[in-house]
Amino acid sequence: MVMGSFLRAFDPISTTDDTSQSHGLAIFDTLFALDSKFMVQPQMVHKWGISDDQKTYTFELRDGLGWHDGTAVTAADCVASIRRWAGVQSGGQLMMKRVKDISKKDDRTFIIALKEPLGLLPEILASAPPLFMMREKDANRPATEQVTTNVGSGPFKFNEALSKPGARITYDRNEKYVARRESADGFAGGKVVNVDRVVWENIADQQTAYAALQASEIDFIQSPSVDLIPVIESNPDLQLEILDKGGRILLLRMNCLQKPFYNVKARQAMLHLVDQEAFLQAAFGNPKYYRTVTSLFGNDTPYSNDENTGWFKEGGDPETAKILLKEAGYAGEKIVLLQPTDWTESSNASQLLAAELRKIGANVELAPSDWGGIVERRAKTGPVEDGGWSLFITDHSNYGTTQPHTNIDLTANGKEGWYGWPTSNEYEALRAKWVEVKTLEERKALAREMQKLYWDFVGMVYLGAYVQPSARRKALTRLIGMPAYLPMWNMQKGSA
Amino acid sequence: MGSYILRRVCSTVAVMAMVGIFVFLLLRLAPGDPAAMIAGKSASAEVIARIRQQMGLNDSLPVQFMRWVHDILRGDLGTSIFAGRPVLELISQRLEPTLSLSILTMILSATVGICFGIIAAWRAGGLEDRILTGFATLGFSVPVFVVGFFLIYFFAIKARWLPVQGYLPIGSGLWPWLMHLILPSVTLSIPYVAFIARITRASMLEVLSEDYMRTAAAKGASSYSMLFHHALKNAGAPILTVIGLSFAGLIGGVVITETVFNIPGAGRLVVDAINSRDYPVIQGVLVLVSGMYVLINLAIDLSYTLVDPRIRY
Repeated sequence: MVMGSFLRAFDPISTTDDTSQSHGLAIFDTLFALDSKFMVQPQMVHKWGISDDQKTYTFELRDGLGWHDGTAVTAADCVASIRRWAGVQSGGQLMMKRVKDISKKDDRTFIIALKEPLGLLPEILASAPPLFMMREKDANRPATEQVTTNVGSGPFKFNEALSKPGARITYDRNEKYVARRESADGFAGGKVVNVDRVVWENIADQQTAYAALQASEIDFIQSPSVDLIPVIESNPDLQLEILDKGGRILLLRMNCLQKPFYNVKARQAMLHLVDQEAFLQAAFGNPKYYRTVTSLFGNDTPYSNDENTGWFKEGGDPETAKILLKEAGYAGEKIVLLQPTDWTESSNASQLLAAELRKIGANVELAPSDWGGIVERRAKTGPVEDGGWSLFITDHSNYGTTQPHTNIDLTANGKEGWYGWPTSNEYEALRAKWVEVKTLEERKALAREMQKLYWDFVGMVYLGAYVQPSARRKALTRLIGMPAYLPMWNMQKGSA
Repeated sequence: MGSYILRRVCSTVAVMAMVGIFVFLLLRLAPGDPAAMIAGKSASAEVIARIRQQMGLNDSLPVQFMRWVHDILRGDLGTSIFAGRPVLELISQRLEPTLSLSILTMILSATVGICFGIIAAWRAGGLEDRILTGFATLGFSVPVFVVGFFLIYFFAIKARWLPVQGYLPIGSGLWPWLMHLILPSVTLSIPYVAFIARITRASMLEVLSEDYMRTAAAKGASSYSMLFHHALKNAGAPILTVIGLSFAGLIGGVVITETVFNIPGAGRLVVDAINSRDYPVIQGVLVLVSGMYVLINLAIDLSYTLVDPRIRY
């Protein structure tokens, strides 16, 4: 199998990288998991309960859970894992603000005691990036220090001898894994492994990967490049399949701390300037795999809505954008747009954005660099003269928009938030209510309110939504389609 | 000879030290942050800052450098930031594919290139010369990846004689090992065959025009004897130099071929490490490769004495 990007970091807790999470899904297990309808289901947990005052959760682990080193999974392992995860992941950090204590009751039972009720606790424990359970001795290490022992309790075992970091990763079926009785459903259900071994190959060149797929040397390419899609489509032995049906949203982050985008009118100008269709065409080419998106909460999610989306026009509205930019007091200051040269889609979109900005009189400078250079520069809050930045294009999961309480992209808490650092106290007050509301309808109404505010202060701009088809040989079937990460249980390889 | 070798070995250490300092500084001054790469695309600045602190990247450059030098003096090239494995272990895993590919390529290039060069010189101005000179020009001009994809298409996808990609260690059997190296070696050897053929032709033409060659011909020496006993030996030094330099260049320069054929060699290791800003791996590989480069050059210099007894050190 060839993954979208090769596995760089083994420890799925210390990184948000998607491939590390897929690695985590293979070798670790989770307390809860989301099914294909994004409902929370118990996974390692056998049963759980809440006290009458809604402040104490008790979790009991199911029978037969064991680490790959032969020892049993205990409640102490889970307590340490939760603490480690909560140190770095936003969902965990939110949870810990309300946690009084996390402790083990006995070897199979642990308790989370809260200072105040948190109705979304199971959702948080099941949210992405997943809360993987590790051995206590691994989980006791700081979350910022990588755990590379690769000993979990998941359905696959890491085969150290046959793995070469950076070149090939090998997983063997964990014969001792006790799967749940339910059938596989999303990240939840019975994790039954139908293959003896899975090998991830780091084939850097897409053409080579495709040739290897044709020659049956590999069975799966998670993210074939856009130019290969028509060739794959025409090959009778191969099948394109969209596993992450929600897909991802290409988006523009603006540095709200520096001019011109510290002025809300300049940010609104960007919202009007963008012709999503043009950006999607430039970035992805094939309309079959993209569509426009106007809701802050993505396309086809429970919270997608049309509140305050009047800014959206086919072809964009450069005239309004020009007026708004002028009203923002823009006087030709340099706008630095970070362009990732090793990410084709974002790079193409960056070039188009620069051209569109120049058309409305903006002084844009593209700053090309590999992604490694961008992740360093985007952290700089200062002006462009001091090495800062004005704009960069990235993406996030469509599914991730349904989790504004944990998704750092959707914050507007200034420097405490994500790159671009938009600030809106009013929006943040609404976002804080997300964990308070009890019903889906209430949450939908809250989503509308949040979106109304968001598209006024414009914390970021959406450039369009896209789905990434995966390519597989037809002999490989029953792959589980979920957002961003690839579970490898359930899949089957035939002889064809 | 002994003192000469000692001097050259000492100079190897000096070169490795200079490369080490240069690479260390270049990496720290270039944009990029390994902590941000580890943390992932959606990580918060706070988490990245904590990882930086944990990794010691907030320490001053002199402190980081001294720590690295201290480790190297103890024979420890450090630990990969991402893989969490010793750099030496990663390099040793990747050295075999690169050395296998380089050695096979060099054997192929030297054998074919020298033969072509001799034939071209022997038939200078004739049809064979023109064909071989044309091949040499083509061999230089066509990019390695183009040749690679052509070979993959015909021999791996259409004919299915050879695998598209990958590498099997020699321990898994001679044929499986060779099978995975045939296409990459042929691909990689084409420019080297062209280069060696041209140098051989030029050297041979120079030697063939010498008076002693006319004397040999007048004495009735056969063409074989003239070409291989008299001419090739005297034309050997420049050919050896080219082969040696090509081999040294191959060790660090096979990355495109390794990428096209997905061979997990040292070239791929260092490129991936650069992309992810894995400082210890980049430093370790480059220092070792520079050392190998110097040692290969030393071996070439010493080999001159074998082909030309007049050379003394």
